[in-house]
Amino acid sequence: MSDHPYVPEIATDREGNEYEVQGWQGDFFGGKLGFWLFMLTEIMMFGAMFMVLTYYFTLHHDDFINASSSLNRTLGGFNTVVLLISALTMGLGLLKMRYGDVKGAKLMIWATILLAIVFLGVKAVEWTAEYNHGVFLGLPALQGGLPESKPFGEIIFFGMYFTMTGLHGFHIIVGIGLMLWLLKRINANQVNREHYILYFNIVLYWDLVHLIWVFVFPYYYMIGAGLSTGGH
Amino acid sequence: MANTKTYEEERLGYYKVLGGLLLLTVVTFIQPTMFLTDATFGVQMLIGTVKAWMIVMYYMHMKGEKLITATVIFALFLVSFFFVIVMIDVNNFQYGDVSHITSEITSAGGSSASVH
Repeated sequence: MSDHPYVPEIATDREGNEYEVQGWQGDFFGGKLGFWLFMLTEIMMFGAMFMVLTYYFTLHHDDFINASSSLNRTLGGFNTVVLLISALTMGLGLLKMRYGDVKGAKLMIWATILLAIVFLGVKAVEWTAEYNHGVFLGLPALQGGLPESKPFGEIIFFGMYFTMTGLHGFHIIVGIGLMLWLLKRINANQVNREHYILYFNIVLYWDLVHLIWVFVFPYYYMIGAGLSTGGH
Repeated sequence: MANTKTYEEERLGYYKVLGGLLLLTVVTFIQPTMFLTDATFGVQMLIGTVKAWMIVMYYMHMKGEKLITATVIFALFLVSFFFVIVMIDVNNFQYGDVSHITSEITSAGGSSASVH
């Protein structure tokens, strides 16, 4: 037994009212702010990558346009719509949870997981096609100084493309894991109508994944779209 | 700022944002071949920024969150600031013509320009 007197943890809500925190889910705004701080590190990481891409685009404009025109815009566009709908299902799920429809919320999470798997499947098809065309990390076309090497700017473009879409895909996989964990917490009644900060933050995470793709798609697939109707 | 909307109103809001995002996605697709074809990169980034704003404000519930908005703007400023510093450095790079960062590689371990 501790001799220290009990000191309540006091949080402040958005209206400025103080209240005592009861458990880790009690400080909703603190949990939200903390998760936003994590997401800022993500924004800075991807932001730096986009800026590097912009810099190289100014240096190797024509190579970037040529490389972009060879990507499959139909599959990229399909994945854009898939992520867009998944952001809706995730948001609607949270809405249902807030209004006490736990079954509906769980259904929406499963729908989001399904859409995430579809996204990964399409991405796998794309990468396989690119590999079969000799365009993949480590293959001679993307190595400098060889007879079969692509132009310098295209090597950078595809290097960044595989790195960024790969990192984005990794975030999708993490998102699926988080959603499965969320389902487990809902089943254990750890996440419910009164305590849904975990759900809220996972929705934020999924929206961030969507947000990154909103820039990845035009940056890689669309800048060369006026040149040809290409695609691997 | 208490939430005074009903379930139906909130759900309708989600669908309205979805409609807007889908419309902008269609514009993203047709723009490179239909209009402002000489400024594709700029237009695409502009459309992306509008879409991002809609996602952040409505799907990520940022509307009315002054503290979080300020931290996000600060993070973006920080990235931009360091990027500008790096760009100034790169543009004054002493070995720019022999660097693999700025110059094409023509053979394994070498670049197109000669060493000065």
